[in-house]
Amino acid sequence: MAAGPYNYSYIFKYIIIGDMGVGKSCLLHQFTEKKFMADCPHTIGVEFGTRIIEVSGQKIKLQIWDTAGQERFRAVTRSYYRGAAGALMVYDITRRSTYNHLSSWLTDARNLTNPNTVIFLIGNKSDLEAQRDVTYEEAKQFADENGLMFLECSAKTGENVEEAFLDTARKIYQNIQDGSLDLNAAESGVQHKPSAPRNAINTDQPANKEGCAC
Amino acid sequence: MAADVHQQIMPLERKFSLQDSPRSPTVLPWDRFSNWLHCACVVTFDLELGQAMELVYPGHVKLTEREKINICYLSFPDSNSGCMGDTKFHFRIRQCPGRKNHILAHDDFNRECPASLQIDNAYYYGYVYFRQTKDKSIRRGYFQKSLVLVSKLPFIPLLEHMVEIMAPEYFDNGEPSLEAACHDIDQWPEPTPGETLNLPLMGSVVQVRIPSRSDKVIGAVQTKTHTVPQIPVNHVLQSIHETDLFSAFQPVLQHLQLMWELVLTGEPVVVMASSPTLCANAVQALVSIIWPLKYCSDYRPYFTIHDSEFKEYTTKTQAPPAVILGVTNPFFAKTLQHWPNIVRIGETSGDASPRAVLKLKKSSSLKTLDSKPGVYTRYKPYLSKDKTILKRLSKGIQLKRPVEVQSAMLRRFLLELTQSFMIPLERYMASLMPLQRNISPHKGPPVLKPFNVEEFLKTLDHSGPQLTSGLKGDWIGLYRKFFKCPNFDGWYHFRQKEVNQKLQALHLEALCKEDLVNWVRDKQEVEIVDLVLRLKDKMISAQNNDIPVSMDIVKKLKCHLHSIISSLPEDLQSVLKTHL
Repeated sequence: MAAGPYNYSYIFKYIIIGDMGVGKSCLLHQFTEKKFMADCPHTIGVEFGTRIIEVSGQKIKLQIWDTAGQERFRAVTRSYYRGAAGALMVYDITRRSTYNHLSSWLTDARNLTNPNTVIFLIGNKSDLEAQRDVTYEEAKQFADENGLMFLECSAKTGENVEEAFLDTARKIYQNIQDGSLDLNAAESGVQHKPSAPRNAINTDQPANKEGCAC
Repeated sequence: MAADVHQQIMPLERKFSLQDSPRSPTVLPWDRFSNWLHCACVVTFDLELGQAMELVYPGHVKLTEREKINICYLSFPDSNSGCMGDTKFHFRIRQCPGRKNHILAHDDFNRECPASLQIDNAYYYGYVYFRQTKDKSIRRGYFQKSLVLVSKLPFIPLLEHMVEIMAPEYFDNGEPSLEAACHDIDQWPEPTPGETLNLPLMGSVVQVRIPSRSDKVIGAVQTKTHTVPQIPVNHVLQSIHETDLFSAFQPVLQHLQLMWELVLTGEPVVVMASSPTLCANAVQALVSIIWPLKYCSDYRPYFTIHDSEFKEYTTKTQAPPAVILGVTNPFFAKTLQHWPNIVRIGETSGDASPRAVLKLKKSSSLKTLDSKPGVYTRYKPYLSKDKTILKRLSKGIQLKRPVEVQSAMLRRFLLELTQSFMIPLERYMASLMPLQRNISPHKGPPVLKPFNVEEFLKTLDHSGPQLTSGLKGDWIGLYRKFFKCPNFDGWYHFRQKEVNQKLQALHLEALCKEDLVNWVRDKQEVEIVDLVLRLKDKMISAQNNDIPVSMDIVKKLKCHLHSIISSLPEDLQSVLKTHL
C-alpha cells in the first residue's frame, strides 16, 4: 500500500543525459509512474525523480536527475554529474544525429564522474521500428567498445525501461559488494545508511531498529 | 498516561485552508453552478422514440451517450403503475469512466463533511420531477415529461426541494424559467461544511445548514454565531441529507434491526416497491440506517431493466453483488428471485401491522410485486430485537404523532445502535496509536499499529457493546461478518488516513524545530539532496491540504529549506532553487 512504511539502505544518484527530444523525461516518467507522458514539456535545467527499488533484498532509493538536453543548458550541468553512481545515456533510434553525438556525451560523463560510475546506453523509441535509423548491432558494438551496458527501450510501451534502471542498480550494488566502489570516497554517488547514526534526520521512514540517517 | 497522549493526538483539526490561495479570485460563469449541479435535463416521451432527452441545460455541459440513455430511462416510471399527476424520486448512476470534471469545492467539502456524506466522484444522482397529465391537444392524449437535476451531491431533501420548485415553473413557462433558476444557483456560495447558507431560488430563499465532521452526531445542531441568518427566509430545511426514515420503513418496521444488520454487513439487498418514489426512499433509508458509518458499496435507489449495469448486477452466474437496488418493475421479481435478501414495500396504506419475517418461499410466490410487505431472507440476525423502540413507534402511530418526530426517534435509536457497535472499534483503534513521545525529527513519523481481529475481540469482554447497549446476542459473530465487508474496509482506511495525516503533521512540526542546517554540515551531497527533495514533497503535501498543519509551519519549513540550500555549493544551489 502506498501509505505503508518504507525504509531504504542506500541512495544511488543517477543522471539521464543525451540530446534534446530523445525521450529522457519520458523514460523517467515511465519508470517512476509506469505511464507514458504523451505531451512532455522541455526540461529546463534539471528535474528530479525518485523510486525505491530492491536489489538482493536491499531497499535502494534511486535519486534520478533528469537533465535538459538542449545545448544551451550544457554549460550549467557540472553539478548534475557530480557524485552520480549511474549515468543513463540516451539516444533516439530513429534519429541518427542523436546517436552521432554520443561520444561527446560520453566524454562529459567520463570527465565529470568518477571511474566507477556505471554508464548505461539506452536506444529509446524501439516501438518505432519502421523509422529506425540506427541498427541494434552498431549501437551494441559502440557500447562494447566503450565498456557500456546497453539496451533498446521504449518509454512509450515501457519495454526494457525497468530493466535499464534496475540493471544499472544491480551493477552499482555489485561494485559495492566486490569493493570496487569505495563508499567513503566523497563523490561515490552512493549513500549508505549507517546503522547507528548519532544524529540522523529522517523525514519519511518509520522509526526502526537500524535508525536510518535521512 | 497513555490515554492522555491519545487524546492529544486524536483530534483532527484543520488549522488552515487554501481559501485565500490563488485558486478563487477568478470565478467564471457556471463555476459556482457546478459546485451544486452538473446540469438540468428535460426528458420527454416521444411517440416514435420513447424516452428522449429534450434539453440539457446549461448547453455546454457534457454527458456521454450512455449517461444520457441512463438518465432518460431512469427519469420515467419503469412499470405501468399509473403515476398520474406529479411524482418525485431520485436515482443514482455511474459516471462514465475517463472523464475528468473535478470540482475543487467538492474536495474541500469532502475534507470537512461527515464521512457518510462524502461525494463519490464516480456517481451522479438524478433528482426527478415527473409529470403525467391528460392533454387532449397531444396525440395519445397524455403529457409526460420529467425535469431532472443531475448532481454529485447526496443532499436528497435539498435537491428534491429544488426540483419541486423548478419543475412546475418549467412546465408552465418553459426554458426561460430554467435559465433563471440556474442563474440563481450560479450565485450560490460553496457548500462549506458547518456553514448556514441562504440559497435564493426563483424568488424564495431556502436556508440550509451544511453538516460538518465536527458536528455532534447526537444532540442539537450547533450553529456558528456569525452565520445568523440575515435575510428573511421562506423555507428552512431542517436537514439537507436526512430523509424520512419512518415513512420509508413503515411497512417493514418490524424488521428494522434485521435490515440494520443486512446493511451493516454489506449483504446484497433488493427493495421491491410499487413506485419509484417508494423504492428510492426505502433504499436511501437503508443506506442511512448505519450512519454515522458510511455505506461503502454501490446502491441504486431506482434501478431499471434498461440500466447499463443491468447485466452486471442481475447475472446468475455469480453470487449477487453486495449492493442495494430499488426496483419497481414486476419483471425483477423473477430476475432477482435468487437474491438472498428481498425487502418488499407495499403501498403505504398507513397500516403497519406487525408481521413476522417471512422465510424465503418458493419462487412461484415471488412472481409478482403484489406479495405482502416484509423481508424475505434466510439471514439469521445475530442480535435480539429491541422491542421498546417498536412499541414506542406503534404508540406514536396511535397517537398520530407527526412523522418527523417518529423519524427522529427512529434515527436516534439507530444512531445509538450503530455507535454501540462502533465505540469498541474506535477505542481499539485509539489503542493502536503511537505515543506522542515517539515523534522525533531523528526518526521517521511513527505509524499506526496493524489492526488485529483476535486482539480486538479480546477487548470486548471488558469494553464491548454491552456497556452502551442492552441488546443480547452474538456480537462477536456480527463483528466477524462485518470485518469481511466493504463497510469495515472503508471505515478502517478512513481512520488510518486521518491518523497518518495527523502523525505526518506532528512530525513536520518536530522537524521545523530542529536545526537542520547544523545536521546537514557533515553530510554528503546525495544525502542532502535527498533531504531537500523529501522536505519539498512534504511541503507540497501540506500546501495541498494533505497534511493538516498551519501556514506558519509551512513557512518555517520553507526557511529551513532555503538555509539548507544556501549552505551548499553554488552550482547545486541554483539547481535546487529552481525546484522551490
